[in-house]
Amino acid sequence: MRGFGVRLLFLGPAGVLALLFFLLPVALTLLLSLTDLSTVTFSRPRFVGLANYLELLRDPFLPLILGNTLKYVALTLAFNVLMGLFLALSTSLLPERLGDAFRALWLLPRITAPVVYVLIWQGIAAVAPYGLLNQVTGVSVNWIQQHPWVAVVLANGFVGASFGMLLFSAAIKAIPPELFRAAAVDGAGLGATVRHVVLPLLRWPILFVTTYQTLSLLTSFEYILLLTDGGPGFHTTEVWALHAYHLAFSNYYGNARFGLGAAMAAILVLVGLWVSLLYLRLFNFRCLLEVPRIEVD
Amino acid sequence: MKGWIGVFVVALLASGLAQQTVTLQAWTIGPEDASRTRATNLVKAAEELNRILEAEKAPYRVRVETSFETTGWDNYRRRLLLAFQSGQAPDIVQTTHADIGVYAEGGYIVPLEEYLGRYRTFQDVIPALWSAVTYRGKRYGVPQDTEARPLYFNKPLLAKLGWSSGQIAGLPQAIREGRFTWEDLIRVGQEAVQKGVVQPGYAYWHRPVNGPDFYQFYYACGGTLQNPQTGKLVLDRTALGCMYGLLGRLVQTGVMTRNLLGMPWANWHNTVSSGQVLFASAGTWTWAQWATQYYAKDHGGYDYLWRTFGFALQPAVRPGGKPVTLSQPQAYLVTAASRNKELAVRLLSLVTQPKYDAEHALGSAHLPILRTTYVLPEVRSDRFLQSVRYKLDYTTYQPMSPDWGVYADAVFRGISAVESGQLSLEAAVDLVAKDLGAKLGDRVEVR
Repeated sequence: MRGFGVRLLFLGPAGVLALLFFLLPVALTLLLSLTDLSTVTFSRPRFVGLANYLELLRDPFLPLILGNTLKYVALTLAFNVLMGLFLALSTSLLPERLGDAFRALWLLPRITAPVVYVLIWQGIAAVAPYGLLNQVTGVSVNWIQQHPWVAVVLANGFVGASFGMLLFSAAIKAIPPELFRAAAVDGAGLGATVRHVVLPLLRWPILFVTTYQTLSLLTSFEYILLLTDGGPGFHTTEVWALHAYHLAFSNYYGNARFGLGAAMAAILVLVGLWVSLLYLRLFNFRCLLEVPRIEVD
Repeated sequence: MKGWIGVFVVALLASGLAQQTVTLQAWTIGPEDASRTRATNLVKAAEELNRILEAEKAPYRVRVETSFETTGWDNYRRRLLLAFQSGQAPDIVQTTHADIGVYAEGGYIVPLEEYLGRYRTFQDVIPALWSAVTYRGKRYGVPQDTEARPLYFNKPLLAKLGWSSGQIAGLPQAIREGRFTWEDLIRVGQEAVQKGVVQPGYAYWHRPVNGPDFYQFYYACGGTLQNPQTGKLVLDRTALGCMYGLLGRLVQTGVMTRNLLGMPWANWHNTVSSGQVLFASAGTWTWAQWATQYYAKDHGGYDYLWRTFGFALQPAVRPGGKPVTLSQPQAYLVTAASRNKELAVRLLSLVTQPKYDAEHALGSAHLPILRTTYVLPEVRSDRFLQSVRYKLDYTTYQPMSPDWGVYADAVFRGISAVESGQLSLEAAVDLVAKDLGAKLGDRVEVR
């Protein structure tokens, strides 16, 4: 009994937080998705069963939005992880102070407020005589509207890459120097050292960054909202989470459809869960958590 | 002890007799600075109301707290929505008449019929504007202003193209009579680009974001937005195709830039008002906005504008056709959450007077809503208001329907797709029809 009390004491606070901020919102979202709650029906929502889900199935743009979501997550994730890895490796090779300064530079997009960050992007991409890019290239186009996907992936990627960079740099620092010396003695060059020493030891941080960023990219949309608002044209850059937001909170004449938006969000929760399980299996998470067979003091 | 009780009773009586202050909150929006009178006139009307209350020896006075939004409609509507739903709505909100359908259906605003008959000032309102605030047979708002959406043309640029001053001065009449159509505009625009009078894509610009202006093209193409019998929204595929065709052609012919949609408003206004664009569709209020906020502000204000710009109706699509414009009257609405609805309407009855109507119209280049205002000397002598007034004879409105937002968003996505070259106009019309069919079902009539 005493053991149970201690467990409760330690798990309790985290359990309450998880209940309040994770489980309850999911339950509420599921509940909302079964109603016709909107601006018009706000004071008298009706239970409509699976009608919202059926309406989503009929939406001619849903396959496109789904495709956009996969494209957005895959491209931005690839940029984030690979760029993060590249930055971590390259800055580790630099003298420490220079490496730190360079890493600090890459943190700037992350610590800039999203609205300000996107305003800078818009300033760079605007048509003549306003834009910076058109003055450099001599081509006056609105770069964000002309190449919306490049803008979306890069704007998100510049923010996201620093996350992997920090974790990978720390992990590289934690590798015992003897391993590098041993590799050098064995005649390994830079490429071989990275491939056979560094990368295998970064498996755990890479798993973490990939999983975490996939999930956060699935639900993130603020930079797309500010950059292109899902356009131009028919949902060219509209992703799942942004579409849920548009349905639930924003249309030009204000009849927001919370029920339908909640149905989209509920599907996103399920997809997120499935992706997490898939990753845990793919990266052999159980093996990573196993007690080491040999204890080293 | 008795003494203390006496003091307490006197204090209680005194506090009861002391004047109460009733606070009325009002949210208003420009977003252009020049329309700030939408808020300040309410404050002036409250001062007037307090003088009346004093004369009536009423035990209370009114204080009006206003807010004036300058960022944009999207933000303002979201703020209103959250306020309505959290029960924090102000007493009065000013918004466009097209919002009444959604807000009335949601029960956020109240019909004003029982109050409106009590005040004489309301009888002076132009009757057509009452129709614009009537939903399901009841008046839900007090008209605040109205406007028209002209086609501005740049006089020095036309002169550079070789137009005589007589031709330039006659353009509004030529458009009014259907002699100068969109086809002519495209022809002149192409010529201006070829001769280097404007940059490619700078011969005609419409607004850079979603909004009501686009329905002027749809109306000019003979389209209908609402079935008057059933109240259902109508999607006329032929008119939509004609509108998308026109917008697509403007881009393909190099008259309008592909980069227009998504441009920040400030860049749009500065580029047009500094004289780099030959034709542009905007609003009457843009005149005051340019004079007070953008390039023209530091380059001679109204004098510069009169020298540089002329204005006309939006042309017809074919010779002899009808030119159009579109009005989006603004209205003050009283919210269901207000605890002082009667007082709110009384305040609105005082703001609905020719002096305030004229001040707002002259300062912001909107059109007055009261018949008496039009005969005031300062309004009769105002060159701009007198020159745009005839446009109201050609005006159209947006429908009032809770589904209008879904409709307008779908049509706008089509515009964006056609202009960016993502889809052909036929494919865009098909997609919009399919999208609306899926979202609105039998609440939209596709013809």
